Amino acid sequence: MTQPSPVRRRVDPRAERAARTILTGQRPRLLPQPVAVAVNGRRRDPRALRAAALVQIQPRPRYDWARDAASAGATAAVGIGVAATPAIPLQVIAEPAYLILAMLDRPGGEVSEHDRQVIAAARLLADAGGGAVVTVSTGSGDALAEAGSDRHVALPDGWADDYVPERRAAAASALMAALSPRHILFPDSPDGGDVARRVAAAAGERLFAGVQSLGPDRATRQSAGGSLEAGHRPTRLMTVAVDAFPPLDGVRHEARPLDLAAPVMAGEELPPRLGGARRLAVDPDALSLSETDFILSAGNGVTDWQSFAELGEALGATRAGSRVVCDAGHLPRERQVGASGMVVSARCYLAFGIAGAPQHLQGITGVRHVIAVNTDLHAEMIKRADLSIVADAQAVMPALIRLIRERRHA
Amino acid sequence: MLDVAVLLSIGRHPVSGRARRAATDAQALEMALALRPRRLTAIHAGPPTDGEALRAYLGMGLERLTHLVLSEGADPVEPLIAHLRQFDPSLVLTGRQAEDGEGSGMLPYLIARGLDAAVVPDVVRIGPADAPNSIPGAADLVQALPRGQRRALTATGRFVATIHPSAPPARASAYGPARRGVIEPVAAQATADLFLSDCEHRPWRPKPKLMRVKRGGSALDRLKAATESKSGKGQLLVNPTAEAGALAIYDSLVEQGMLP
Repeated sequence: MTQPSPVRRRVDPRAERAARTILTGQRPRLLPQPVAVAVNGRRRDPRALRAAALVQIQPRPRYDWARDAASAGATAAVGIGVAATPAIPLQVIAEPAYLILAMLDRPGGEVSEHDRQVIAAARLLADAGGGAVVTVSTGSGDALAEAGSDRHVALPDGWADDYVPERRAAAASALMAALSPRHILFPDSPDGGDVARRVAAAAGERLFAGVQSLGPDRATRQSAGGSLEAGHRPTRLMTVAVDAFPPLDGVRHEARPLDLAAPVMAGEELPPRLGGARRLAVDPDALSLSETDFILSAGNGVTDWQSFAELGEALGATRAGSRVVCDAGHLPRERQVGASGMVVSARCYLAFGIAGAPQHLQGITGVRHVIAVNTDLHAEMIKRADLSIVADAQAVMPALIRLIRERRHA
Repeated sequence: MLDVAVLLSIGRHPVSGRARRAATDAQALEMALALRPRRLTAIHAGPPTDGEALRAYLGMGLERLTHLVLSEGADPVEPLIAHLRQFDPSLVLTGRQAEDGEGSGMLPYLIARGLDAAVVPDVVRIGPADAPNSIPGAADLVQALPRGQRRALTATGRFVATIHPSAPPARASAYGPARRGVIEPVAAQATADLFLSDCEHRPWRPKPKLMRVKRGGSALDRLKAATESKSGKGQLLVNPTAEAGALAIYDSLVEQGMLP
């Protein structure tokens, strides 16, 4: 079967006629028309179509009818209707009229949602008059290009893990003196807000904390315990409240390293007065479900509660359960995940024997990584999970405990 | 801890708007009382009030409280620094943010700058942590982090600590001590806060919640992104041995950084 070309060529009858014309004789002669292809283009070959759509044969045949027939035989596209994303045009601000500094947290090295929101707020100020956004954080600026950063100043890599806020504040003050930016924005997070207040106290400037809306000539924030809205011209130092600005989407900026005349990280003159910072071990079961990062959850498929408790201890995870488990009294009521319990936002959720009722899936909407162990292949939880294991929880739990203890002692 | 000063403000009930003791300031006072200092100075700076909210602090076991009387709209930082310099406290405790007024959270930092002290935000415990080797002359502190995590650190010299809401809860205020306690008014000179009077104030109107709308793609994609919960396009292991399943879970947890 012939494949029609994706774009049909436009017929130019005059050119075709000219190509067939022979001028050598006494008068022009026309060659006869070429014979049309014998195959009828409108005729379908259902067997060939079916063969082209066949993706897998074992264990049962599966057809992907949405697939481009031209790529038959090549690897099947994942998902349905994957459109080629058009390239986002790069926006370059070569000669910025002024600079807006965005001091980012980047907790754990990754760009947080709040960091993106700060860059979006900085873009509001920068785009009003041809300014450029300069992000300041540890790590490279490559990840910040699509968040909307024009220039990037990388802080030393060693600063990412240790907590010395005085050093960060000194670096921010040094950058403020070196670049003389029009505004400096910080996230109003515990660490970012702390650094912002240190910088403001050192510079003797007013901090407009927790900005809720922002424009080139007016910024607002909540005051009097959230009952009043205070508006003012944007000050030089501001912190951006969480979830006040939508992060940018579909933009691409340069995020190229800013060449500074002198290294500004000279904030080492004073010995820091805070030191010896280290994380303390926290009892995972003492944390509430809404603030813990790692949840081990049990459902109706768990009968071996001894192993479940040991596994929670071995993993260092907060134990939780579905409604059935809490109704049966295996776990206290405040450990229930789901619509009638807690809506959790942990980073990792390890579920044993949970089928995935809609109410339960509602409770884990905000979870980033879900691992499910269940005996039923067709359970909703298996579809939701990032790693699904169809097995009995009573067999996997002791094996996992053994594995963790082995690796810990090795 | 020899000499502790606590800065107390008048709070505002979030629903009724009534004056009350500020929640984190009360926790700061609780922490100061639990430290059993040699001298405890409690200071409030603000316009003259009838003092009912301040008496709630006295009911927690304070005997006297200094009230620096300022005019309406005055900046309390300078008089507080001047007053604290007389006492020269080694530790200043306060809440993290005022419940009424500007509430920018700047006051502890400005006080620390005036007293040449360090600032430690979000403290939940002062005293020896489970540190094996503590430096003499340094205070061991425990700080609250997001997601219920805790961080231990040491502060050398004088410092200002702000208290996190997850610090030990404040004790209830008793009526008798609240009546018996003394509020000492001290007249103080302060400059007017020009920035605050320059701000325009209006009642806060709740803003619509920020929705994470995914742009681009087809209409079907956007509808799916808005309505469907995230479905993992994950790995599926059907009837593995228990060891193979456990290994897959272990590797996945290591990849997520949940296990070392």
